[in-house]
Amino acid sequence: MSGRSESVSTAGRSMVDWWGPLLFSVYCIGYAAFVAVAAFATFAGGVPVGGLASEAVAGVPWGIIAGFGLIIGAFVLAVLYATLARTPQDGAQK
Amino acid sequence: MNYETSILAVSIFAAFVLGVIGLSAWLGSRAQSAGGYFVAHGQVGWFVNGVAFAGDYLSAASFLGICGMIAFFGYDGFLYSIGYLAGWIVALFVIAEPVKRLGKYTLADALNSKFNSRGLKLVAAISTLVISLFYLVPQMVGAGALVKPLLGLPHWAGVVMVGVVVTSIVATAGMVSTTWVQFIKGTMLVVVCALVMFLILERGFSLPTTPIGQDEVQSYRKDASGVIVNGSPLSAENQLDTKLRAAHGIGFGSIAQLPDGVRATGPLGPIAFLETFSKSTVTTWKKGTDAAGTTTFTPVERKGADLLLPGSSPTFKGVRDDRIASKLDFLSLMLALFLGTASLPHILIRYYTVKDAAAARKSTVVGIGVIGVFYIITLYLGLGAMTSGALDPTDSNMSAPLLARTFGNTLFAVISAVAFTTVLGTVSGLIMAGAGAVAHDLLCDVFKMELSDREKVRAGKIVAVALGLIAIVFGVLFEKMNVTFLVGWAFNVAASANLPALVMLLFWKRTTKQGIIAAMSIGLVGSLAWILVSADTLEKIYGFSAADAASRALVPFSQPAIVTVPLGFLTLIVVSIVTSTGITKPQTSPGIA
Repeated sequence: MSGRSESVSTAGRSMVDWWGPLLFSVYCIGYAAFVAVAAFATFAGGVPVGGLASEAVAGVPWGIIAGFGLIIGAFVLAVLYATLARTPQDGAQK
Repeated sequence: MNYETSILAVSIFAAFVLGVIGLSAWLGSRAQSAGGYFVAHGQVGWFVNGVAFAGDYLSAASFLGICGMIAFFGYDGFLYSIGYLAGWIVALFVIAEPVKRLGKYTLADALNSKFNSRGLKLVAAISTLVISLFYLVPQMVGAGALVKPLLGLPHWAGVVMVGVVVTSIVATAGMVSTTWVQFIKGTMLVVVCALVMFLILERGFSLPTTPIGQDEVQSYRKDASGVIVNGSPLSAENQLDTKLRAAHGIGFGSIAQLPDGVRATGPLGPIAFLETFSKSTVTTWKKGTDAAGTTTFTPVERKGADLLLPGSSPTFKGVRDDRIASKLDFLSLMLALFLGTASLPHILIRYYTVKDAAAARKSTVVGIGVIGVFYIITLYLGLGAMTSGALDPTDSNMSAPLLARTFGNTLFAVISAVAFTTVLGTVSGLIMAGAGAVAHDLLCDVFKMELSDREKVRAGKIVAVALGLIAIVFGVLFEKMNVTFLVGWAFNVAASANLPALVMLLFWKRTTKQGIIAAMSIGLVGSLAWILVSADTLEKIYGFSAADAASRALVPFSQPAIVTVPLGFLTLIVVSIVTSTGITKPQTSPGIA
């Protein structure tokens, strides 16, 4: 591998190193918020009071929308990461 | 429930399963070396590997268990879907690429890559075996549940069938055939379930011919004379749902009231389906036991909107409880689901079947896509089953196949065959992980046996047979457990035993082999011990009443991860600090992907 391609590879690597933790943190915050809202903000005394029980759209509660959001969001972040993490080295290995 | 067999259904099922086995045997016939047997030469394409990830991961728990849980309790099953899928984010961002760079055949390879420690290999191999067995049990239970309605065979026969078929697949051809079984199964599972979802939306919702009264309790009991259903002996003409069907034109699980006073909605779009469900009232069935010991099922009308909230099932009821211990139980399970995926040995070894870290990354993305689509579909399958009038109130695991049967015997046979292949795919992966742990880690590295490539493969095959037999026994013993619930335990143990070691090895330079061994041991033993003395186990395994189980439990809540995962990290840090004295050369961390 030439010195030039090594430096390009290193640059690509550092980009991965930067985006990986960032995207991971974004998802962790989303998941933690979902779980926390479910546990602490949806029921009081066994009765729905808000949080995931609130109506989001057309009678569908936020719990469903948030669940879809976490599932679809995981895929979106994964595609974003795979795109950003692509390095010249990946192409050379094909 | 009427579990009469159909020749057509059995024929389709047999053709399907035999086709998959034949194809896998042919594809796997060329893999004779250890590298071929255990990791398919590391040459599986990233797309195939990604779909195989889905095939590996979408187990009986995901298909039968989650659909069943949604069908019985609504949103709680969907919580599992969310947690299982979220776990792949940890796998992608934290584990995938470093593990691929560090390992060769097994989880122990990766953990031991910098230490060359027999002790570490031993602990990692034991952890792999224990977690794989925990995960195997629900798969076998699911297999047993499937053959009952399809082939008219008892539960144990299904367990034995899966055990024999899977052991044959793994013992004859290893990871190459396992990969293709998982690829085929992953593809078919998503396609067939999407078809069922389409049919559910096309059918929409409708009311029973007459309303089901709150006093229409259905019952059954087993005694010396056999099974008594609603006061008469069980027969083809007297099933648990016979009275209901005669009176209301529908069995267990139905809509009681639709919005705007209509009797049927006609076809619905995906959003309109959820909206209509949310605004409807649903007849669910509460299981109980009367004074004479007879099992009863009492109709309970519930608002659809309430069923789209967490906390209806025994597993997640803590969400609706104000006690902190109940909240912790919920938080702990959601933590285990999030962290457990990336710690499962049979998932981790799939990273060794691709050629490099980039392929590991890309295959994970494909896996997340396929798995995500499937989990969204499961919500519709579960809610469709809940209102299909086809539930078996004695067995939540059968909800998806019984839902398919409402669309005809052909679809029922196809769904059952796909579900059976689902079990085959996952069990194959689990047995491969266990075989690798014993043959590669224990025999070669721990016990220092000098095995040639061919002998190593033979040892792996013998271990596969042994694991298959053990799985059969457990599958028969745990017949009545919901498979998703059982898998939740496997995630707790995996997250507690493996995750702290993997993460700290990758990201903390002062990690020592003693730290990893201690963390894995504490995580494994701690989580197992916690589960064994928890209220859930006392009630569901040891047979105590709910009240007795709660009073006798030695731990305040049943899911251990929220305690045992941090305990694993703490143990590793403390032991590593204590044992790192004298280490002068810092070790290179592979870092985050």
